[in-house]
Amino acid sequence: MLSATDITLSFGGFKALRGVTIEAKPGTVTGLIGPNGSGKSTLLNVIGGVYVPDSGQLTLGGQPLPLGRPDRVAQAGIGRTFQVPRLAHRLTVFQNMLAGERDHCGERVADLFLRPGKVKAQERQASERATAMLKRLGLGHKANDYAGSLSGGQQKLLTMGMLLMSDPAALLLDEPAAGVNPVLIEQQVALLNTLRDEGRIIILIEHNMEMIADVCDRVFVLDGGQVIAEGTPAEIRGNETVIRSYLGQPANS
Amino acid sequence: MLDFAIYSITIIAVWSVLALSLNIQFGMTGLVNFGQILPFALGSYAAGISASLGYPWWIGALAGLIAAPLIALLVIMPAQRLAQDYWALITLGAAEIFRLTVLNAPALTGGADGLVVPRFIDPTLAMSVALAVLAVTFLLAQRISSSPYGRMLRVLREDEILASTLGRSPIRYQASVSVIAWMMAAAAGVTYAHITGYVAPSSFTVTETFIIWTAVILGGPGRNIGVIFGAAIIQLLGVSSRFVAQWIDLPPDLIANLRLASFGLVLVLMFLYRPQGLIPEAKQVHDAERN
Repeated sequence: MLSATDITLSFGGFKALRGVTIEAKPGTVTGLIGPNGSGKSTLLNVIGGVYVPDSGQLTLGGQPLPLGRPDRVAQAGIGRTFQVPRLAHRLTVFQNMLAGERDHCGERVADLFLRPGKVKAQERQASERATAMLKRLGLGHKANDYAGSLSGGQQKLLTMGMLLMSDPAALLLDEPAAGVNPVLIEQQVALLNTLRDEGRIIILIEHNMEMIADVCDRVFVLDGGQVIAEGTPAEIRGNETVIRSYLGQPANS
Repeated sequence: MLDFAIYSITIIAVWSVLALSLNIQFGMTGLVNFGQILPFALGSYAAGISASLGYPWWIGALAGLIAAPLIALLVIMPAQRLAQDYWALITLGAAEIFRLTVLNAPALTGGADGLVVPRFIDPTLAMSVALAVLAVTFLLAQRISSSPYGRMLRVLREDEILASTLGRSPIRYQASVSVIAWMMAAAAGVTYAHITGYVAPSSFTVTETFIIWTAVILGGPGRNIGVIFGAAIIQLLGVSSRFVAQWIDLPPDLIANLRLASFGLVLVLMFLYRPQGLIPEAKQVHDAERN
């Protein structure tokens, strides 16, 4: 279980998060929705270690998570994607995938020069997994293209692939469907369902309500830096407060 | 003419080592080091001071190769908490501090007069040593470039936050690559001191760092063979300007200044029209058949 308890964070006088508590269980997809500026991405940045909260705790499987250390959060098994995909643009798709490999002995200078055989073996294993993963994501034919030359949707898929190379226990996904064409969205929904069935923790920020309804088991609604509602997608849809602040009324009612 | 060729190859080899050392920092990792002449100076002065104290050459070489990585870690320690832009200022400042210290501590360093270092008597030997140092440096740089380590250095160059969300601590990579690069430059410095037989602060100014940068930008940041090519062109331009001075009757100091101005022009033109350099970084193509 990944939980963030009573998180507060201010930027100067602006209170971005005011005592937010959320929980996400393994084998479930947890949605975070809310209007722009409600604190969704900020919360993800706190969990991911990009921001240090003013107060509050983070735990994964009962163990406290380091605050403000993205590298150590990642090592603890939490992977994340960004709203605007982060990639090494001047490396190929395949090289980006290999960069997702966890604990690569070939990245240690001593092993690199003293144990070339071990480095080669791990590189070969990682290459095999990267090849399989790219095929699964439908990017197999792009392996040797520069990552920067991919379309926005493909870049989002690639960042997912990089994450999955490290086999994370939890995934934090910031708007994976934004600006992505319907076919790729379907592909992502299928992928998310598979990842959930593998028992991973998934936290998803998304404005695409169809996707939220399709994949989320539980949804937290944020507004003004606070959780204003939580429940199943169906419960959230009928929640008056949420309709007022975020979802709005259908035009014909 | 043969003497001149041997001299040119020797000088090109020394500057190629410097270009490679900047390349693994800047070309691969994106670290803007405006003080790359500092480890070169450390190596030279290690050779010079140990010679002046009467120690054999290898003590000086060892001292240079130990001092450079230690100073590297000291210099980048404050950079850990700063954005990458500050690396430029910190490294530039460190190199100048060292030069000014050397200038003002004549008891140990000879001050502005410098120090005399035992010289290679045979120019062919000097060339061979310089080429050997270059060969070792090149092989190390190539190994780094094509390795998973080099790949992560490039990820850092492209996006530090990406590297940290992949579970890597950026400063660890930046520190290790700096240590390797500074040892390379120190080796070049030791070699240089024994080639010229003399070290003085005037050889280690900001201008020299700028010449290394010109070689890297011209040759191709991120490409080892490219920056050697760049260093060769820049050094050949440098030595040939003497002949130009003989042909067209201009005062030598004007020629020297024109030479520097031409390096500046090279930088501006490269940034504008060919930022990838003459021999750009190669795409690392994955051959699925090989697996």
